[in-house]
Amino acid sequence: MENFIKKITKDVDLSFAILLSFCVYVFFAINIEVFFSHNISFAILERFAVLGLVGLALTICIIAGEIDLSIGSNAALCAVIVVKLTDPLGAPLAMLIGLSVSTLIGVTQGFVIAFIRIRAIVITVGTLMLLRGVALLIAEEKTVMLTDFRVPDFITTKVLMYFSPASLTVIFIFICVGIFMRYTKYGREIYAIGGARKEALTAGIPLRRPMIIAFALSGFCAGFAGTVIGLKSGTAQGLGLQYLLLAGTVAAFVGGVSILGGKGGVLGAAIGALTVNFLNTGLVFYALQVHFVQLFTSVLLVIVIVFQTMSRVFDSRQARKSLLATIDERKTSLLEKKRSALGR
Amino acid sequence: MSAIIENNQLPFSAKFLQFYKDRTLLAILLSLFAVMFIYGIFFTENYLTITNFKAIIRDAALYGIMAIGLTFVTLSGNFFLLSLKETASICGVTFAMGMATGFGSPDLAGNFLVSLLAALAVGVVSGVIQGYFVGMGGNPIVVTLGGAGILYGIGAWWSDNLVINFTRPHDAEWLGTGSFLGLPSITWSFILIAIAAEIVLRHTNFGRKVYLVGANKAAGKATGHENFSMAIIVFTICSVCCAFVAVAFVAQMDSAQSNYFSAEFGSSGDMTILVIATVMVGGNSIMGGYGSTLRTSLGAIFIAMVDNMMVLQGFNSGPRIVGVGLMIVFSIIVFGLFAKGSRAQE
Repeated sequence: MENFIKKITKDVDLSFAILLSFCVYVFFAINIEVFFSHNISFAILERFAVLGLVGLALTICIIAGEIDLSIGSNAALCAVIVVKLTDPLGAPLAMLIGLSVSTLIGVTQGFVIAFIRIRAIVITVGTLMLLRGVALLIAEEKTVMLTDFRVPDFITTKVLMYFSPASLTVIFIFICVGIFMRYTKYGREIYAIGGARKEALTAGIPLRRPMIIAFALSGFCAGFAGTVIGLKSGTAQGLGLQYLLLAGTVAAFVGGVSILGGKGGVLGAAIGALTVNFLNTGLVFYALQVHFVQLFTSVLLVIVIVFQTMSRVFDSRQARKSLLATIDERKTSLLEKKRSALGR
Repeated sequence: MSAIIENNQLPFSAKFLQFYKDRTLLAILLSLFAVMFIYGIFFTENYLTITNFKAIIRDAALYGIMAIGLTFVTLSGNFFLLSLKETASICGVTFAMGMATGFGSPDLAGNFLVSLLAALAVGVVSGVIQGYFVGMGGNPIVVTLGGAGILYGIGAWWSDNLVINFTRPHDAEWLGTGSFLGLPSITWSFILIAIAAEIVLRHTNFGRKVYLVGANKAAGKATGHENFSMAIIVFTICSVCCAFVAVAFVAQMDSAQSNYFSAEFGSSGDMTILVIATVMVGGNSIMGGYGSTLRTSLGAIFIAMVDNMMVLQGFNSGPRIVGVGLMIVFSIIVFGLFAKGSRAQE
């Protein structure tokens, strides 16, 4: 416990994230009577199953120093595949196929990025459009629907008051990824290529392996989010789910990742996703239109970016000041030495 | 002098290879042009008509102008904006508000100049604010992703998410549907803006600074050209281009809504991605410092040509989006392979 507190107080961004999420939660808990209740907590965790996964996917990519813009299209493609195949093949097999397609897309992206040594934003803008087109093709430009809406009931049944199988699986994925990122060699390699790529490559870390793992994880998480959304609503569209990119980015940045890479973690991603969930769930009670939700989410993102950028600028100024001060000190001490030598 | 002599002494094949390597992407683009053109002549009905070519250039003009603005941002090493369509939509809403209601004062209703200036001013403000955050050290992608949500939210809030109509005899008709010497006004604007941008980039101090900052940020900083002011200026240029396109589009449609440029806009799904695709297909380096607005214009015409052909062949929107997506990925991979090991890629 002491370790935990020490860790949080040491990490400015993480403590800022916790503070922010706490503020958002308290704000809504005070203003809305029913916000602090079992049902709302269940609803928040249900949303967490989707947003948390997308936030986790973007967090891993940003830790590796890249950003995956194709996440919404990947999720939409997976949702279309799963919903379309559930009727002929049954839900489990359809989920398996959809998830393997998404993971394979992630692996391909990671391989191309590491092989050509190109920035991920460049290639993922292309795949954003490509995957969206593929999803439209598979859906035949229509909204795909389940014929039997009772099939996906198994992922929404309540377990233990607060959880559903979907949210339990997502929490399990979070724990697994957290252990993987923290305690295995492969996870630490992802941190290394994000934080200091040149140094990591010089030290002998292959670029290809961590990049492929990071993007495979990101593709898997995006696909899983798409699966959950598709099965829950029973419908899927080729052009849908583009809002996931904004929500995931906000979750990742609130969770304390740095755009420069190598910073942040799974705990931060969970807190960030929860913050976005609090905001979204709370705004539901005000019966606002969709664009207001987008507006407030973006404002949250801008607040976090401004905080991060300012703290970085402040840090670099502080470092420069201290450097100049040490130089001055040395200069004066040298001058004094000279003077004393001359005086003698 | 000695360098020139050395260069002359190179064997012809090496010189040819060097020339080809310098202009590979242009050569690939031009040969693709030729292939598409010949395919179009032989296998597509109604392709080789003047009306069709006018339609192609007219399509290209809409996202070509935005892409020319975006080229400045890309060349200066600031990647790209994800808030293009949102900037365009809020500027369009502003313009339509001015034309329909005159911002509350009935005297100004339908006043073209005031509405145009207001729309451009909104573009300038959004560009300056986003450029300020990017110049301070924010990542362009993340900043403009947040900016996109805010701009869209404000635009939808202001217009109550309704369609704003204004009636037909209005002062902006010449820009929307008018034509001059047989070409629509928007096509003329595209041509003029392309020429002006090319001149600015090639022959002015500012244009060379854009290339310098994009090619080597550290060198730019050392010689006193910081990215801070550069980011503000290029973001403003890009946003003003978006505002201009929005004004032309709204003048043509006589109406505006906050999601006119979203979702199933035109050919390929998403205006923002389409514009970014145009810049990439033209073969500009996304890392900055390499490329030109001429390439962007060619890329716009190329995408419009491919799209036009697919429409004439009766494809749905799915295959068309796949086609444009494949073009982007292909051009990125080709560019990446040719630039491998050079400075263009960190």
